[in-house]
Amino acid sequence: MRILLVEDEEKVARFVAIGLKAESFAVDIARSGLDGFNMAEGSDYDLVIVDLMLPELSGTELIRRLRIKKPALPIVVLTARDAIADKVLNFEAGADDYLTKPFAFAELLVRVKALLRRGSGNRSNTLRIADLEIDRITHQVRRQDKPVKLTSKEYSLLEYLASNPGRVLSRTMIIEHVWDESFESLTNIVDVYVRQLRAKIDEPFQQRLIHTMRGVGYYLSEVENP
Amino acid sequence: MNYRSLRFRLIGYFAALLIATTLAFGAFTYTGLKRFLESTLEGALAHRAGQVAAMAGNIPREGEQAVAEEIEARYAPARNDRFVRVTRPDGPAIYLSNAPNDRSFDPAKIPPYRTPAAEGTRREALSDGSDILIVSRNSNGFRVEVGASLLPGERVLHRLLIALAAGLPVLAALAIGGGIVLVKRALQPVAEITRTAQDITLRHLDRRLPVLASGDEIANLSSALNGMIARLDDSFQHVARFTADASHELRTPLTIIRGELETLVFHGALPEDLRVALSSLLEEIEHLSRIVERLFALSRLDTGEAQSERVRVDLANLAETTAEQMCLLAEEKHIELICANEGQVEIEGDRARLKQIVVNLLDNAIKYTPEHGRVEMTVKTRDQSALLEVSDTGLGIPETALPHIFERFFRADDTHSRSTEGAGLGLSIVQSICHAHGGSISAANRSPAGCLLTVELPLARKA
Repeated sequence: MRILLVEDEEKVARFVAIGLKAESFAVDIARSGLDGFNMAEGSDYDLVIVDLMLPELSGTELIRRLRIKKPALPIVVLTARDAIADKVLNFEAGADDYLTKPFAFAELLVRVKALLRRGSGNRSNTLRIADLEIDRITHQVRRQDKPVKLTSKEYSLLEYLASNPGRVLSRTMIIEHVWDESFESLTNIVDVYVRQLRAKIDEPFQQRLIHTMRGVGYYLSEVENP
Repeated sequence: MNYRSLRFRLIGYFAALLIATTLAFGAFTYTGLKRFLESTLEGALAHRAGQVAAMAGNIPREGEQAVAEEIEARYAPARNDRFVRVTRPDGPAIYLSNAPNDRSFDPAKIPPYRTPAAEGTRREALSDGSDILIVSRNSNGFRVEVGASLLPGERVLHRLLIALAAGLPVLAALAIGGGIVLVKRALQPVAEITRTAQDITLRHLDRRLPVLASGDEIANLSSALNGMIARLDDSFQHVARFTADASHELRTPLTIIRGELETLVFHGALPEDLRVALSSLLEEIEHLSRIVERLFALSRLDTGEAQSERVRVDLANLAETTAEQMCLLAEEKHIELICANEGQVEIEGDRARLKQIVVNLLDNAIKYTPEHGRVEMTVKTRDQSALLEVSDTGLGIPETALPHIFERFFRADDTHSRSTEGAGLGLSIVQSICHAHGGSISAANRSPAGCLLTVELPLARKA
């Protein structure tokens, strides 16, 4: 998988590239809008990450031009501008996703993977992590073949964690995914629900599946340090 | 009617001034006329007295009888309503005029002069209450007195008084009526300026007051106010631009710090103590990012930028479903969370923002209520407003802190730990959302314990 990162801020480009490479992506970096457009047009990338404030050619204009040449190419916007008008403008230009700085790298990763998966249509109806089994259609959860009763919020939280196994999800990401933006100030609600979920999923069993990465968030994994 | 209004006061002053002027003018006219009438009469009497005195000088030559007849024939005092008396030095009268035609006095009853040889003017009171003015002259030892009743003059003065008394209320009424019309016309533009000024809020700073082409003081006032609004608009735009710029400038370094730290925590082979320190730094950056986000959210609410959608929302239903989503937070602290609503309460607004009001208020209430307490939320309609009330059994708010709890970064309790991150902005955000929806929020303490927060929002217009 090859990703083009169009970002003029050197340090941001550096850590995003390191993080993506660690996830086995091939990453190229373009430092200006025009470079970005030429590189994206000339080579075959699976996904493009674009900053909005770019020299030579603005991110929005880059997206607009690229969309004409490559209608199917997933484009993620990465920007410090978070006004609703900016979001609308860039979605209209052809962006697929929009991430506001400062972002958690984990969130960028989840979104990138979601966009790459979208094309493949490979979505399993049953999620399995160790002896945990989640049926995405009936919303039934079993561990060691014993059914576990969850409330709908607990189920959504577990499904979100399980569909990104081993991936650390920040509280903000969990809130936006499981609740909605109105709860953004309420990160402690995530802690409460994770505690509740652990009591049902983990505590009765030997192996712990839900882990905490301090300062970052939660993840579901067979091993403690994936 | 507002008795302190400029209109009322102007009319009052105007009428009072006019009435006072008229009264002064009336008094001046009255006394002036009175003095004029008396001095004219006195002059005429003195003239006549001189003439009669000259005739009395002929008495030794022509005899008393002849002179008396001549006075009677020449001046016919009775017909002219005058009083004439000529007295001998030893007392008895040589001549006394008959009663005047208008019977205003009886000559026989006029008392004789008291100070002999004195020349001058005196007044004698008559039995009917009126006065008679008498001028005396001496001639060869004879005393000549010529007089006339003051009654005719008093009648004229009386008539003037009646005219003034009748005219004053009419004049006052005209003055007040005219004043009302004039003041109303003069203040018409002021009323218009007031109406427009009330509509100009932070969100409508591009609007201006109407400026009349009259070039008068009011037009000057409107232009001056418009200049002020323009300067306000400018500085507000400046602040908004500054916030947008600052947002960008702060976000990029925050992104880098966070990204670099995350790279280390995720991929670096770190000693445990360093990992703990980095994790703690990440938590602080998360905290800092959240504060930055909220400040920008607030500034966007202030500039009206955040008003993205306006739909009909059932506040009661919104409150209930939100409370359900948050009940676990309450359960954790064994707090009883009660949601009591009185049916549908439809308002208009941005659903996500309105929900944020409920979330922040409930979160706040749960945070500041000790274990086994109670948090109660009600949504109801009162008059033309929707009311959302959240009450708790917590510690309440110190009275001195009550006016400040909606201020940014204000904390009623200084000792409260930072674990309730960003709590210093939650209520500010609620207030800004309320204002953006044309509503308001207020806080009060409840007895015996706890506090009550009341959000008031305008009801949706009837479809």
